[in-house]
Amino acid sequence: MTTTSAEMSQAGMPFVPGVLEVGPDGKGHLVGAHCPGCGASYFPARSVCSRCLRGDLERVPLGSSGTLYTYTVIHQSLPQFETPYILGYVDLDDNVRVAGQLVDVEADAVELGMRLTLQVEPLASQTLASQPLQSGEVGEGKQVLWFRFRPEAAASGPPVPPTGKPPTGKEQP
Amino acid sequence: MTDVYAVGVGMTRFGKYPDRDAFDLGAEAALAAIKDADIDPRMIDGAYFGHVYQGMNAGQRVTGHIGISGIPVTNVENVCSSGATAVREAQIAIRAGEHDVVLAVGLEHLSSKFRGALAPEEGDVEGAVGLTMPGVYAMRARRYLADFGLTHAQLGMVAVKNKANAAMNPFAQYQKTVTLEEVLASRPIAEPLNLLECSPVSDGAAAVILMTGDKARQLGKGRAIRLAASALRSGKVESEPSSMTFEPLTRDTANAAYEVAGIGPEDVDFAEVHDCFSIAEALRVEGLGLFEQGTYLLAVERGEAQIGGRLPINPSGGLLGKGHPLGATGAAQVVEVVRQLRGEAGQRQIDSPRVGVAHCRGGKAAGVEGAACTVQVLVR
Ligand SMILES: [Zn+2]
Repeated sequence: MTTTSAEMSQAGMPFVPGVLEVGPDGKGHLVGAHCPGCGASYFPARSVCSRCLRGDLERVPLGSSGTLYTYTVIHQSLPQFETPYILGYVDLDDNVRVAGQLVDVEADAVELGMRLTLQVEPLASQTLASQPLQSGEVGEGKQVLWFRFRPEAAASGPPVPPTGKPPTGKEQP
Repeated sequence: MTDVYAVGVGMTRFGKYPDRDAFDLGAEAALAAIKDADIDPRMIDGAYFGHVYQGMNAGQRVTGHIGISGIPVTNVENVCSSGATAVREAQIAIRAGEHDVVLAVGLEHLSSKFRGALAPEEGDVEGAVGLTMPGVYAMRARRYLADFGLTHAQLGMVAVKNKANAAMNPFAQYQKTVTLEEVLASRPIAEPLNLLECSPVSDGAAAVILMTGDKARQLGKGRAIRLAASALRSGKVESEPSSMTFEPLTRDTANAAYEVAGIGPEDVDFAEVHDCFSIAEALRVEGLGLFEQGTYLLAVERGEAQIGGRLPINPSGGLLGKGHPLGATGAAQVVEVVRQLRGEAGQRQIDSPRVGVAHCRGGKAAGVEGAACTVQVLVR
């Protein structure tokens, strides 16, 4: 993946509102919710803890490391996705399970339990061409950001455009 | 509590109907159920309709076709459990004393809405990263086979069994047996699941006439089957990653139904379950408590789940063989259970069953086990 300086000058926009953010340093992470009462974690973020019903959940950045719980190779998908691709459920070390695509690994080298790293990155236009992602805003010079998983050792990449001000605790997902 | 009986059932053959719509199909199913019940349609004093993609006032568009307009009509959407939820709402209205005779219909014209893989809920983060419904179940299959030391060939036998049952069902979309070799050689949809392990895109409708026990006795409805329980639950938000090889949602819904019906899983003679994919059948029956966790595929291998076996599962052919027009599926399961309990299932008849269960579930969003699950218990 190459990122031009022109792209870097654009503001980043999460592919689904509120699910990820990128700081001024160009490092991105998913945004979850943490319950200060019982310690439960949620992704995507929620308003009330379903375990203890506390309503003051904190929106927190989630770490990028996790373990592959299970995976598939998808051969038939919605028209905006180019097939085949590997998709897995990854249990992040923050104790949330996240679905995402796996890249930089051959399908026959994927193993249950392998360590993976989540990376926020620009969404290549051909990957998700017709996704209705508030295309007006994209046209106003914002770049759509999403995330994918890579084997721990293979994970590295250029910084991505910041998403602007971090969400507040009151913001709805 | 008021007893509720199913006195009439009917359905269209499931399949692809490019020159018909959901309302026409719904009308055909409703008229078949009214005819089967052998009642004056003016006795129907309420109607419930379940569908997912058919738009506004689908139910009124059906009642308008069949001469029973003017009665209370309620439309429900509950993903793949929509038709089952319509049946449940109908029986609640009867038990509450609101109605005596109620029509419940599930209908869907899916082929005009979708081709290929369905995505989880629109706008959900899992759908946006490229997760499809076959993908969800493929991942559950991968983990299930790994956890219990089973093979894809053992999983494929579920499809072989259900397609064989469908071949004996004149209402099934597919009426052709398949071999295990054909299942394993069909093209991959989401590995390890192949095409013949995925329910098809289908159109169709199914209908049930329910009435109070008093009314059924008064009218001398000797073929009436008692709807002993109809339970509904929604999936819980998960506060930590959990096993995807077992279904607490199915277990909890089943336990609620068993309690109301006064039975346990050991009393169940056969079941229609939501086999949207081959792996789904194993997850459902183990969640229902009908088989121990991790043992179902071995039971299928031994022939226990086929017609004539110890505990037949999906004698209709299930979603894999009969087809899966989303909103119609839950109502069609009740149609099959009633026909089996009456002894009117023809070639695929199970030997004198007394208790049949219909299980339906659907919907998937990030961090939630499932959206809606229904379990209905019918007793002869
Ligand atoms: Zn809590």
